Amino acid sequence: MTQQSAQHGVGGLTYDARKRALPPELNVLFALIAITVVFELLNRWNGTSFLFNTRESLDTLFNEQRINIILLQVAITGIIAIGVTQVIILGGIDLSSGSIVGATAMITMSFGQTALVNGNPNPKAIFGDAWMDLPVIAPILVGLACGLFAGLVNGLLIAYTRIPPFIATLGMMVSARGVAKWWSNGNPISFPTESYASLSNGDMLGGMTFGLFSWSGQNPAVVFFLLAVLFHLIMSYTIYGTRSYAIGSNEAAARMSGININRHKVLVYAIAGLLAGVAAILLTSKTLTAQAGMGVMLELDAIAMAVIGGVSLSGGRGSIIGTILGALIFSVIISGFTSIRLDAYYQEMVKGAIIVGAVVLDTWRQQRRTK
Amino acid sequence: MKKTLLAAGITMLLGTTAMAQNIGVTMAKFDDNFLTVLRNGIQAQADAAGLSVQIEDAGNDVAKQLDQINNFIASGVDAIIVNPVDTSATQAMTDAAAAAGVPLVFVNRQPINLDTLPDNQAFVASNEVDSGTLETIALCDNWAAEGKTEVNVYVLQGELSNQAAVQRTADIYDVIAAGKCAVKVNFIDQQTANWSRDEAQNLMTNGVSTGAAFDGVIANNDEMAIGAIQAMKAAGIDMATVQVGGVDATQDALVAMAAGDLDVTVFQNAAAQGSGSLDAAVALSKGEAVENAVWVPFELVTPANIADYTAKN
Repeated sequence: MTQQSAQHGVGGLTYDARKRALPPELNVLFALIAITVVFELLNRWNGTSFLFNTRESLDTLFNEQRINIILLQVAITGIIAIGVTQVIILGGIDLSSGSIVGATAMITMSFGQTALVNGNPNPKAIFGDAWMDLPVIAPILVGLACGLFAGLVNGLLIAYTRIPPFIATLGMMVSARGVAKWWSNGNPISFPTESYASLSNGDMLGGMTFGLFSWSGQNPAVVFFLLAVLFHLIMSYTIYGTRSYAIGSNEAAARMSGININRHKVLVYAIAGLLAGVAAILLTSKTLTAQAGMGVMLELDAIAMAVIGGVSLSGGRGSIIGTILGALIFSVIISGFTSIRLDAYYQEMVKGAIIVGAVVLDTWRQQRRTK
Repeated sequence: MKKTLLAAGITMLLGTTAMAQNIGVTMAKFDDNFLTVLRNGIQAQADAAGLSVQIEDAGNDVAKQLDQINNFIASGVDAIIVNPVDTSATQAMTDAAAAAGVPLVFVNRQPINLDTLPDNQAFVASNEVDSGTLETIALCDNWAAEGKTEVNVYVLQGELSNQAAVQRTADIYDVIAAGKCAVKVNFIDQQTANWSRDEAQNLMTNGVSTGAAFDGVIANNDEMAIGAIQAMKAAGIDMATVQVGGVDATQDALVAMAAGDLDVTVFQNAAAQGSGSLDAAVALSKGEAVENAVWVPFELVTPANIADYTAKN
């Protein structure tokens, strides 16, 4: 079973040009453009602009701060969504990613603290002085290990105890949140080393492109897009991707074709956990603090991004590109609401409606195509 | 396309065209009584001054709040008011606003970087040193008036991650250490109930069940004081024999005080903090100098002056 037929698994056995469909991601892209245009028009109506600079004090064509925040505010949730997308394509669900972010954030940050704050001892210190000012690689490795461990537990539970993914990851969601609160008795962990703070607040592309794409605080967005490209290639062109789509489309058939389903499930959930670990590192570095409540509801945002991007909750259909576009729609809506000064009360109502609306549209589109 | 039409339709109805001075406000959360009074204080002051404010709900999420600040900056607001979700996450917010040159005012919760705030940033709140101090001294005076010389008390703390909880608890010990308490105070237990009525009730029920005799409860806020009162009443304790103190002077607390259950609370003027933060933000956006920390005074509330406060929160 190839990835093509998994994605459009509705045609006949032979190739039929009339049944060739445009990639479903195109619809999501159109929606993204349409929403952006609507916000631009609404802003123009108010005498401002959504994407373009209208302030005389700045000499740029685009409103660079807006574009920056649209990319940044979605990057960290987007990284989680990349993992969640793979899990959903596999036919599973991951409710634990937000809590894994919380637990990983707390544990990671305690290895990334600085001993002296403005010349005084760190008031939020978790460990003794010997564990302060560690090289930045230490918290990174700790963070990745925590995420990977939680993901492995998820995968092993689902593959070998055969409990539904909903239950296994629900358990992890509750337990990991418990770990996050227990780690420092609910106290926030703050004051990272400078090198740790620069993980998110640095200027990664600036150095690489000799200042062409230089702005500070861009790193989460850059990491997000690098990971997105990487996993899009992996899902599209490797045996790993093929197997994920195969299992998600028809688990029994995949098993009979000789795929080691259990091993593959463990692998996919472990990768999702690892990506949550990456998100936790970037999140704590960006906010310069770790909180036991970090990442609450992030799993649902990530799932919503995937769903808006055309990933089917019944598995076997969707793509990383779709999720990226879904994430951008999410972000454009958040920034757009602020730009048109929509009341906070209405924002959530409209956001919920958009999520449901996107799935309704997608379902209609699917039904039309199968006819 | 229906979703875009829906969004468009709703925004057409609600989009405002006011282009006066724009102030962006991000609140830690909307579903909190005290913060709602504060938020309404900001709104009322803005309406009175003919300013337009955009108030966002950070949903108790540090990262979301930071993003909201950046969204305000991108929308070109003249100043930003932040009610921080967590006081230890304020450095990143200060950095973001400072980099964009937008004035920033923290309100109600003291930022961890208060001492190093740039010139165009300020902090408006009530000084937490006063709240716990007023509460503790009033309770001590009440015990002394009852003729006691030595009392046993429980202390109920708010969320440990919160600066106000830490400070109000420290105030209790400071008052005693400074000799301002008229009686000798023994602490039976000091526990956190996370500002919550429910958790305080459970803690207090456990405390009462140990059978240890006690003379009062010092709580970091009214909700926890009320929780403790409910537990004591359920255990059949005569509320006239114990002194219970809280902070905030919420409506619920004033009702409890009128019923003779709560003895002392401290009024934190949320509306004044809200209007004060807006004034500070406007002043900063005009380039005027504002004190690093603007204090809105706490006020002691007892059965003697309760009538002055029933309509305030």
